[in-house]
Parts: sequence; structure tokens; C-alpha cells
Amino acid sequence: MEMPPIDAELALAEVRARREQVVDTNLVPTWFWPSVGGLMLLFVGAMESDVAWLMAVGTIVYTLGLGAVILAVVRKARVQVRFELLGARGIGAILGFALGLTALGVSLGFMLEALSVPFPAFLAAVPVAVGLTLGGPALMSYLRKLMLSRPLAGSR
Amino acid sequence: MTPRFDELIHAPTRLSLVSLLAATDWADFRFLRDSLGMSDSALSKQLTTLEEVGYVEIRKSFIGKRPRTSVKLSPEGHEAFAGHVAALQEIVARAGLAVLPDQVH
Repeated sequence: MEMPPIDAELALAEVRARREQVVDTNLVPTWFWPSVGGLMLLFVGAMESDVAWLMAVGTIVYTLGLGAVILAVVRKARVQVRFELLGARGIGAILGFALGLTALGVSLGFMLEALSVPFPAFLAAVPVAVGLTLGGPALMSYLRKLMLSRPLAGSR
Repeated sequence: MTPRFDELIHAPTRLSLVSLLAATDWADFRFLRDSLGMSDSALSKQLTTLEEVGYVEIRKSFIGKRPRTSVKLSPEGHEAFAGHVAALQEIVARAGLAVLPDQVH
């Protein structure tokens, strides 16, 4: 017995919806990015203050805060999205994002130091934190679109 | 991929279950249960059916003292799912219905 085309279309829609559910569960939540950016600023600022107690407190807050943020994200992940959905383009986007922000922070920091600007590391970390806050959700949005556009099924 | 309609996969609950698994490397039992709105026993029954034909692999482990059950689609399961999706797409295409884009360019 041949299946009515409309039923086949509905079945395909169900397959797409379930993939969307998996992808959405896997994406890093929006609050993660400003949290990491804020912690990074706090840490760099504390280190650059050159005040012993501030450096100690900054290190502890940064370590515990980052640990808590990562733990919260990991605990949320009860499913691991298929690697093939991310693919080379997805990995490239993630690496490009990370390397771009690192290069921005390091080069700006050295440049400010060469110009004898006070607190060069902290000032260089500001645009990196802004980049994380604005770019992180944009990266997630791109990855979501990419993963949902992959063929519905295929050989592994 | 050769289109091959799979009656076992096409049953409504199993289609949803296999679709979730097809998008994952592994999935936690509780994630599947909550996503599908099923009871533990109903989900276990469906997973056993799929395991018996070799479509899924079930792994039990412990995180500390808490048991954790993870499920993944086997290579045979992926192949059957791909054939089933191809069969559905063929039916839709033959009827000339507008199928949503399914390719990355």
C-alpha cells in the first residue's frame, strides 16, 4: 500500500522538528558569553592591579566562577549532537571565532603596552569581552542554521 | 542511498525516537523520555524493540552512585533511517509537493 504524500511530508516534518530539538538542546545558552566575558575582565583587572589580596580574590572568583558556568552548561547537555552535523564549516567557525578574539586581545594588549597606556591588558580585554558577549550568540545562531540545513539522513 | 520504507521505524513514536537519535552521537535516556513525553516503561519497550533488530545500542553506566543509561543509533539503524527518509522524500517528490530544502551548499 502506497503512503499518501501528505503523510510522508508530515513524517519528514517530524524528523526535522526532532533534529531541531536536539540542536537547540546543545547550543551554549546566551548567558554563558557575558558571564565568561565578565569573569575574564575581573581576572585580568585583578592581575593588573598588582595588589596582592586583589590578585588572590580575583583568581579565586575567576576559577570558581568559570567552573560553575562550565558545570552548568555541561549539566544541561543530556545529549551529544552528531559530529557530522557540525562538520568542517562548523569547526572552522568555532576556531575562527576563538582565534580572532585571541589575536585581537593579544595584539591590542601589546600595542597599548608599547604606547605606555596604563592597564593595557585590562583595556585590551574589554573589546574581547564585548566580542564574546555579542559574537557568542551570533556564532550559536550560525551553527544552529548550519546544523539544521544538513541533509536529514545519510551514511556515517 | 537506496529508498527503503521501514515499517518498524515509521510507527509514530519510533519515528520520533529514531529521529532524535539520528541527530545525536548519544542521548541520555531521560532526555529521550522528557522530549517524547513518554513513561520510563513505554520508552524502554520501544528501545528494546529497536535493540532487538540491531538499530540501537544501549549503554548503562554509573555517574558516582547514580545509574545512567545512554542510547545511540547503530550503523544499521543509521542506514535504515537514511533509507526510510529517502523513501519518504521519494513519495513526496513523486507527488510534486514542495519539499523543504534538505541540502547544504
